[in-house]
Amino acid sequence: MAELKYAFYTGCSAKGVAPELYNSTKLVAEKLGMELIELEAATCCGAGAVQEKDEFLALTINARNLALAEELGLDLLTICNTCTLMLREAKFKLDNDPELKNAVNEVLKEAGLEYKGTSEVTHFLWEVVDGVGLDRLKEMVVRPLKEFNIAPFYGCHIIRPPYLIGYEDPDNPKSIEMIIEAIGGNPVDHTARLACCGFHSFWSAEDKVTLKLTAMDAQSAKEEKADFMVTPCPLCHTQLDAMQEEAEERIGVNIGMPVLHLPQMIGLAIGLKPKELGLDKHIISTKDIIQKVA
Amino acid sequence: MEKFKLRVFRYDPTKDSEPYYKTYELPVEKGMTVLAALFKAKEEQDPTISFRYNCRAAICGSCAMRINGHATLACKVQITHLLDRYQTDTITIEPIGNVKPLKDLIYDMDWLIDKLKRIKPWFIPKEKPPVDGKEYRQDPYDHHRIDFASDCILCASCMSDCNALKANKEFLGPMVHSKAYRFAADTRDGAKKERLEAVLEDFNLEWCVRCMECTTRCPKEVQPYENIIRLRIMAAEEGYKTPGEIHAEIFEQDIYNRGLLNEMLLPMRQEGLLGAIKRAPFGIKMMLKGKVNYADFFGGHKIKRLEEVQKIYEVAKKKEKEVKIKLPQIMGVIYEDKRKTGKRANYAETGGKE
Repeated sequence: MAELKYAFYTGCSAKGVAPELYNSTKLVAEKLGMELIELEAATCCGAGAVQEKDEFLALTINARNLALAEELGLDLLTICNTCTLMLREAKFKLDNDPELKNAVNEVLKEAGLEYKGTSEVTHFLWEVVDGVGLDRLKEMVVRPLKEFNIAPFYGCHIIRPPYLIGYEDPDNPKSIEMIIEAIGGNPVDHTARLACCGFHSFWSAEDKVTLKLTAMDAQSAKEEKADFMVTPCPLCHTQLDAMQEEAEERIGVNIGMPVLHLPQMIGLAIGLKPKELGLDKHIISTKDIIQKVA
Repeated sequence: MEKFKLRVFRYDPTKDSEPYYKTYELPVEKGMTVLAALFKAKEEQDPTISFRYNCRAAICGSCAMRINGHATLACKVQITHLLDRYQTDTITIEPIGNVKPLKDLIYDMDWLIDKLKRIKPWFIPKEKPPVDGKEYRQDPYDHHRIDFASDCILCASCMSDCNALKANKEFLGPMVHSKAYRFAADTRDGAKKERLEAVLEDFNLEWCVRCMECTTRCPKEVQPYENIIRLRIMAAEEGYKTPGEIHAEIFEQDIYNRGLLNEMLLPMRQEGLLGAIKRAPFGIKMMLKGKVNYADFFGGHKIKRLEEVQKIYEVAKKKEKEVKIKLPQIMGVIYEDKRKTGKRANYAETGGKE
């Protein structure tokens, strides 16, 4: 079996408002036999914000982030959809435009770095499916989540646009369902499965767009009687969990839909405790889930 | 012969109180498009099915509809590919989303036209025509910047699946913003400021949630999402202080000063003191759940090798004006991953081929 060793790009959220994602990722990765070498010198990916002000600057800082993984001779692993997209976008542009790559490398040279294009950008979700493998994951399950109806919430930037992501069919992805089935849970189909959480227009259209989408998404999982939603993205998580009460308030509905990070869900099935996975750090109560798995 | 089911959205407001679905069983024929299947159902089974069409060659943009929940041109996708892609024997056809259906798959277009009018989707020359009697000329790179945006056929597939539009019909939408970019970015056009003002009214341009549906749906690879971003870059260059522009500045400062974003101080810097007060209850809720990194209130920790970042930042900022970034060629491109293990359900090998 190939060695499961990665340059670990945490992103800002896992180091900020989603410490439970950082901790659960590390615990679960270790149990699954994935070695994560944290890129402690990596910067923010720009999150689309820098990209819409200074495209060249955004490309350059991400070329540096990629060069850090290249220094280690490892592929770069993210735990955030938007980081995945921003880094893959930079890589796509640099690998397909030699003049741009040269211009970026002239800047990196000032700091003694070079972008070569030798490391791929991958996400924790994809590495569980392909690196660890579903058979191996199945073998590790000690607490199958059989009584849980689980609503996958992919988040936009792990499926779209295909010219930058291309891991699976953006209109019919299956990876999260495959993981849910491997750990014994019941994936539920719901209308917001591939929808947007609204996160990226929060500061411009909080009431007009963002919170409406957040409410629709959580509502959609509730309509299908899901016990909780699961997402591979901390930005979706912040929006759906931390902002769900705000969304309920503005829209005037009661939802109360718990949202788990992908590694938290896997962790429960492979014998990690809710507390060490940080299930107590959620805004929407996960009490029912904790009681059921106990 | 192998058969499949075409499940069609039906609605005639003069007769039906509500829309319903009617299923037609048809033979699977190699090369048959969804549009051809609709014709077959109409000719052989039910002459009342109504839909718009014209060129049958993905040029006119008339036959956009939702196929298994996702908008595209009915003349551009084949039945056999869809059956394979969704591993099903049923294909569901609905009118595009976010619009008012008039009859079956035909929807009200006035709403789209009204939105388009707001950005004046026509060329407003900056100068009088060249005295030599020839056409307005343009540098090849300047043309390249609007090349893809010019390919839009107004099919509205992007408007159908837009998440921001789903939440708020006042959003101008990707088709309209993309069209605004096509003219605002045209170096021969004289109404750049007027166009920017139109899309920035109530910060409409920044309601886009970056869900990437528009670029994924577009049957002509117009890159509507990317055009929205290019329009935002233009607005930033023109000095507009939008929430998005303030947000970008905060990100840039944090990358320079510490490497990662300081999420704790973000609300205050984004919205000022009043904003911080407004967000205080939320902040307290986050603190009580242990979701707050207290060190961030005092600047927080810095990444390693920050001096490298600062050097790169300074040089990149000086150099950016002279770099001519080409637009990505995305026609038929699906990201090629060199580390593909062969086990993954790979889209490039199984789906997406039309």
